[in-house]
Amino acid sequence: MCLARIPARLERRGADVFLTKTCPDHGAFESVVWRGEPGLDGWTRPKTPSWPDAPRTGAERGCPFDCGLCPEHGQHTCTALVEITWRCDLGCPVCFASSGRDAPPDLSMPQIAATLEAVRAASGPCNIQFSGGEPSLHPELETAVRTAASMGFGLVQLNTNGLRAAREPDFAPRLAEAGLGSVFLQFDGVTDAAFRALRGRDGLLEQKLLAVERFAAAGVGVVLVPTVVPGINDRQLGGLLRLAASLSPGVRGVHFQPVSYFGRHPGAMRPGGRGPEDAARITLPELMRGLEAQTGGLVRATDFLPPGCEHARCSFHANYLVREDGGLQRLSASRAGCGCSPEEKAAPGAPPLARLGADQAKAFVRRQWAAPEGAAADRQAATPPQTPAAPGAAPATRAPFARPDAAEAVRGDDLDRFLARARTHILSVSAMAFQDAWTLDLERLKGCCIHVALPDGRLVPFCAYNLTAADGAPLYRERP
Amino acid sequence: MSTIRVPEADAAGWRCACCDCDLVLAPVELEYMGSHFSVELPACPQCGAVLVPEPLALGKMAEVEKLLEDK
Repeated sequence: MCLARIPARLERRGADVFLTKTCPDHGAFESVVWRGEPGLDGWTRPKTPSWPDAPRTGAERGCPFDCGLCPEHGQHTCTALVEITWRCDLGCPVCFASSGRDAPPDLSMPQIAATLEAVRAASGPCNIQFSGGEPSLHPELETAVRTAASMGFGLVQLNTNGLRAAREPDFAPRLAEAGLGSVFLQFDGVTDAAFRALRGRDGLLEQKLLAVERFAAAGVGVVLVPTVVPGINDRQLGGLLRLAASLSPGVRGVHFQPVSYFGRHPGAMRPGGRGPEDAARITLPELMRGLEAQTGGLVRATDFLPPGCEHARCSFHANYLVREDGGLQRLSASRAGCGCSPEEKAAPGAPPLARLGADQAKAFVRRQWAAPEGAAADRQAATPPQTPAAPGAAPATRAPFARPDAAEAVRGDDLDRFLARARTHILSVSAMAFQDAWTLDLERLKGCCIHVALPDGRLVPFCAYNLTAADGAPLYRERP
Repeated sequence: MSTIRVPEADAAGWRCACCDCDLVLAPVELEYMGSHFSVELPACPQCGAVLVPEPLALGKMAEVEKLLEDK
């Protein structure tokens, strides 16, 4: 409530788990953090911490007050978020950033470049996500994307509500040309009612679908990102998954985010600043089971795996091949260490180093959340030229070593057919549970790999950056 | 699951050194990260040792592995 650091414990009651703690000034608190199967006891993926190579801050006041990163942070950066504007053209009732119209100035291009330089120095070629506010409102977004792409970051992603892409037909192609690889598209449901409740506006579904179409056509991978709120859109999980599969290969993944209570959020709060009612929370296992129940078993709760990068209690994921008949074939399986890496040989039986998980996650995100290799080129090849060839020009020919096209692959063997389909039609299904003042668990925070990059060079774990006290006072984020 | 025949798998000229007999094409189960493929590969009819021809290992199998790599 007041953001003081206090001891907390996980308490099991049947299949549910609660984080309980007592503040010397404000009394006892508890919040549900896990409901039902798969049970928390079996949901583990231990890691040996990987400390920052060049910590920006010292460990002086203790976690979570030293972020920068401090020498005690246990995971490297997988994705660095750069918030380039506070402005937003939506003003949603739910917003972790409390963005709106009354906003401080945008980051200037030199500030963005300096922030990217600091990320590269601290974290190497991680993935970059431009965020906000609504980053598409930044007048120099294209330059920012071009700069990040030229600096060798693995994947340059835009976290957007999609409205500008829907308004301006040339927006997505311009960003694609600048080097944008992927969009994290706010996408809360399959009915307009879900958007109205969460975003406060009518007609958004149509605009979002148009944005999907335009980004996909431009060769930018699309990840649908629903914020899931009990009673509002928690019955649309299956519909969202089916929609994502139907929009494959343009849509590369669907990434659910259970609502967290920081920034601006809906009501259902306990009196006296004691946090949201448990009924206002939906936990990761409920999402897993909901996906199974609402798709008639198209996916199974048991398909999902804990992450190898961030803390196990922060997320789940599974990957599927979208078959020609619309069915989903699970591809992911438990990745038990094979024992052949130098680290595993040096310390057999020890949990793998966290940074190995971060490296895998970076590579996976880069491959899966971007458009399939050659997607934009294929689309361009399929588009007839707009201008006639000059007289005497050589006839257009295919490159001598072009990838075999789909028709050729289908004529090959079954392995060829699997490869041809899997090159383009893999869909990732994942969820990440953010932490708020009532659920913050420092063990999870120390394993965080999603870091907000500040203009002063600090990297702050996402949940610490967005944390707000019961009265709205932020721990790190500046008030708009 | 149907057995996959791949042109890279050719048993001609290969012999099992232990059993001193010719390899013959036989259905083999390949499993990687939870995905299964039944592929016809040269195998010893006596001891069951399987030969994964180099072009297959470095070609399609490597590509399948890459596509199935997870985080």
